[in-house]
Amino acid sequence: MGLYVSNITSDSQVVTDVKVLVPDAGVRRRMSRVIRMAVSTAVECVGGIEGIDGLDAIITATGYGCLADSERFLRNVISDKEDLLNPTPFIQSTFNTVGGQIALLRHNHCYNMTYVNRIHSFEDALLDAFMRAEDGEGGRMLVGAFDERTDSQYEIMKRMGLWRKHDCGEGSVFVLLTSQKEDSSIAEVLEIDFPSDSIGEQDIAQRYGCSDDDVILYNVCCTMEIYPTISASVFAQAVEKIKKGASKVLVYNEMWGMTPTVVILGCIV
Amino acid sequence: MEQIIQELKEHLIEELNLEEITPEDIDAEAPLFGDGLGLDSIDALEIILILEKNYGVKLSNSAEAKPVFYSVKTLAEYIVNNRK
Repeated sequence: MGLYVSNITSDSQVVTDVKVLVPDAGVRRRMSRVIRMAVSTAVECVGGIEGIDGLDAIITATGYGCLADSERFLRNVISDKEDLLNPTPFIQSTFNTVGGQIALLRHNHCYNMTYVNRIHSFEDALLDAFMRAEDGEGGRMLVGAFDERTDSQYEIMKRMGLWRKHDCGEGSVFVLLTSQKEDSSIAEVLEIDFPSDSIGEQDIAQRYGCSDDDVILYNVCCTMEIYPTISASVFAQAVEKIKKGASKVLVYNEMWGMTPTVVILGCIV
Repeated sequence: MEQIIQELKEHLIEELNLEEITPEDIDAEAPLFGDGLGLDSIDALEIILILEKNYGVKLSNSAEAKPVFYSVKTLAEYIVNNRK
């Protein structure tokens, strides 16, 4: 048993109209911007809405959840003096909305979990899939991460000085994983680690047994725009490196003063 | 009455985010739930808020909700008869 990447899709790669990916207008009309972005990415990743049928696990990760809906709900609480609150923004503001929505599209009642742990969210979701594979409960698993940017979030975090080196970003990435190596496998997840302290650049290669030919990707160096689950986007870059011939790629995720995470991908042997 | 029916259609489209539907597409006498627009129980809560916020109308008796919520026309009639 292992954990193999079968397909990976970022929101920027979604070319199919959301009306095709989610044909039911009744479902679509309650989907806010981030839900549309994440669900579209997920559906594209599994090759269309029917691809949800064969999933054995849907595991999502987010730092902020459906932030715009949370803000809308809180603004309604203030403007309407805690009375006459619209139910839709409240329902949509929960973190597991995306995971639930993916499952509801095809009434897939498989294992469904959402991880919300700031910059570790994606790695926690990946670890869940890794452990399920180890326990023989893996099968075909969809793991994804999403976060959206809002104007108020940008302003608040700007005041905290978080955009001095980077800009505020948003995005979603979904990865289709299998616990068995298949013809479609493009990379293998070799290790997921949660070191207790920051690791210096000189020490990473030695600690994780990387040779000069191996690639180390630092999340804050790989992108100008950051958000809590940016490491999922860097994970997608790592898969691309493997596709282009790298035998081992390490993703080092550390930012905003939190302890780091390490994910190591290897080529299929 | 006609003006309230038109306003209600616009409120429904806006608040319920009815994609690609114009006020002209909504039959004022067609059922809102099940057939017709195919609304559900969450939409019913949204409609209660539309009535309260825009017309100051509250449903005092839950038993009367079903006939009142049948169509846009029955909603408009309820507003006309109960608006303060």
